[in-house]
Amino acid sequence: MDDQFLQTIIIGLSNGLIYALVALGYTLVYGILQLINFAHGDVFMLGSMIALTLLTAFGVVPGLPLLNTVFLIVVVLLITMAITAVLNVSIERIAYRPLRNAPKLAPLISAIGMSFILQNVGLLWKGPANLGYPDVIPSTNILTSVFGFNTDLEFTFKQFFVAIITIPLLLVLMWFVGSTRQGKAMRATAQDPDTAGLMGIDVNRTIAITFVIAGALAGAAGLVQILYNNTTVWNLGFRFGLNAFTSAVLGGIGNLQGAVLGGIVLGLINAFSDRYLSAQWTNAIVFGVLIAVLVFRPTGLLGQQVADRA
Amino acid sequence: MSSLISPVRVESTGGLPSWLRRIGGTVTGWPAFYRAQYASNPRRVILLTLMVIGIFVYPIAYQAVPSSITRALPIPSSTVVVFMLIFGIMAIGLNIVIGFAGLLDLGYVAFYAIGAYTAAFLASPHFGGLSIVLFSDLPAGFPGIHLPFSVILILAAAVAATFGALLGAPTLRLRGDYLAIVTLGFGEIVPIFFKNLVNVNFSFLFIRLENANLTGGPLGINPIDAPSFFGIKFGVISGWAPVYLGLGLVIIAIVIARNLERSRMGRAWMAIREDEIAAEMMGVNTVRTKLLAFALGAAFAGCAGALQASYQGATTSDFFMFSTSILVVIMIILGGIGNIWGVLLGAVVVQYVDKTLLSWIGNRLSDVGAATGLEQLGRINPSTFSFLLLGITLVAMMRFRPEGFLPSRQRAAELHTAPPGEALGSSALFEEEGVIEELDPTEPGGEEDPEILEAPDETPGDQEPPP
Repeated sequence: MDDQFLQTIIIGLSNGLIYALVALGYTLVYGILQLINFAHGDVFMLGSMIALTLLTAFGVVPGLPLLNTVFLIVVVLLITMAITAVLNVSIERIAYRPLRNAPKLAPLISAIGMSFILQNVGLLWKGPANLGYPDVIPSTNILTSVFGFNTDLEFTFKQFFVAIITIPLLLVLMWFVGSTRQGKAMRATAQDPDTAGLMGIDVNRTIAITFVIAGALAGAAGLVQILYNNTTVWNLGFRFGLNAFTSAVLGGIGNLQGAVLGGIVLGLINAFSDRYLSAQWTNAIVFGVLIAVLVFRPTGLLGQQVADRA
Repeated sequence: MSSLISPVRVESTGGLPSWLRRIGGTVTGWPAFYRAQYASNPRRVILLTLMVIGIFVYPIAYQAVPSSITRALPIPSSTVVVFMLIFGIMAIGLNIVIGFAGLLDLGYVAFYAIGAYTAAFLASPHFGGLSIVLFSDLPAGFPGIHLPFSVILILAAAVAATFGALLGAPTLRLRGDYLAIVTLGFGEIVPIFFKNLVNVNFSFLFIRLENANLTGGPLGINPIDAPSFFGIKFGVISGWAPVYLGLGLVIIAIVIARNLERSRMGRAWMAIREDEIAAEMMGVNTVRTKLLAFALGAAFAGCAGALQASYQGATTSDFFMFSTSILVVIMIILGGIGNIWGVLLGAVVVQYVDKTLLSWIGNRLSDVGAATGLEQLGRINPSTFSFLLLGITLVAMMRFRPEGFLPSRQRAAELHTAPPGEALGSSALFEEEGVIEELDPTEPGGEEDPEILEAPDETPGDQEPPP
């Protein structure tokens, strides 16, 4: 295996982890409401803008001492996650909860409307231009500078940062849904809301908590996007959201491990298509994958039986 | 107590002002057919008469008034009216897919693009290596392919319908939101193809392409022949003439859609929309029925695309974005899902607000800003808010009036009461919220819809089993 191939894998994995964070938001909401939350990608976009604003406000610039940088990034991460969580749960309250009993297309259309609203909020807030942020975390190669290997392969501090932010979040989420009382309530509601309600679970509260978690993950992904890809723009959420949704479908929508796996696979597909085909075809390939998965294997790679419900 | 013994009203005028009713009633010199129609449904006849008069008077008035005045008023120009009609055709077509058959298609713009590029390929000097000139006023031997507009229209419809069937065949067994996502993906892929097929190297059997510029890439294809009938051109420079071409096509679209709605196929669509399993039990071939809805809807968009490309004389892939698909969905929802007149109204209103009203408000704001010295006012550009407005409209409509402003009666009843099993959660859970408001299907809040009254037995059970 040559270096270029390994390098593509590293790039794909880093982007894939960001996709996974956003894909989890889609899959959590879909699992519990059978709703494609179109606005989720735009919550991620607003998360990246909030993170950008906070980083600027706190004066996180390249060249700060390491400890200060780490501390401030953690603070920004927590504030961003809190804001996007509140935002997401407000969206649920305004746009989805009144439509609980409506036919299925109604909340979907409402979600599309919400997506347009959020995009325009971003547009009004930050303007139409691409927003950049300087490299706070150095893009120096860990393999050569820390380990002293003699290699052309690059694994940068930035990519390491993506991993140390996303992987713990993913693990905490798995633990939360799999092992806590509230997680059990979420699984029960996803399985059968009526019966869950009869068993004494507050369904509305459980759904709200799901949106809180999804929003917080989107906020974290927004911060990682700013610090790793250094850029955001008002319509970032649409394409990124579709990629993330494709990841969720690829892994089997409603399945948490599937969303993570799907995100990573999609990151790899993106990276390989960029490298070996052409970047202008990448979007077409992603949608081609999406259509192919939905048509030939609607349950995804790790899916449960959801095709019938969809 | 006089209300108890009030006489039975024979004709309902549906709240029209009395002076209008009198004008309509006193036109005695009009043909017997007209009077007979008026007697049976005065409301509809008066509205139609006003529309017809308006359509012929408006362009004359618009041209008679000096342009300084027309520019100062928020009234649509000929280009905006043509786009109202183009989107009207799209709305009627998408209404077949969403309104009649209940399939959410979020990639409708793909068929619009396919229609536009079909027109661009078949009526432009783009393929300069060839020279096919048929029934055109251009001299024989002119470079490129030049077919007459009527042929292009049929071909664009056929090509779009073929792609609709190709996309639909594997995907229509998916339900609801999965179908929405697949169509969305298709709607994104098609413009990418049109944008990127610039330097194509391809060789298969006897087809050999080297660096072939198939679609003009990001620049698109330009110029495209304007539609021309009997020597009259209907391009963007021909002023108000294209409005009548568009109007003719809209009328054809209305007639086709109305007939489809009342046909056996239309009832099968409705049956599938209401309960797919029950419809299948009743002998409806669901796959074929849905496929036909999809392909027919696509054909309408193909025609609209061909009209748009020929009218503007140019097409680029940037014109066909996801937001355009959503624009058509918004027209349908705003106007009244399932009702042809409603979706037409939606197309007219959305185009009017988007293309005329918002820019007019912007101009007035900058006037006020210049007059008062508040320069911030002049810098506000309301056109950038159009999608914010549309988003708010979508959310608000779904919450407060999901059936739209001119609803189809059946659709309104469906949207207010979810079929059992479709909705999440039991009624007990939501009682405190007051979400469930049972709507008596026999007494909808909307206005009377004469169509339904004429055909009260529109139930799937009426169908004969297919041969």
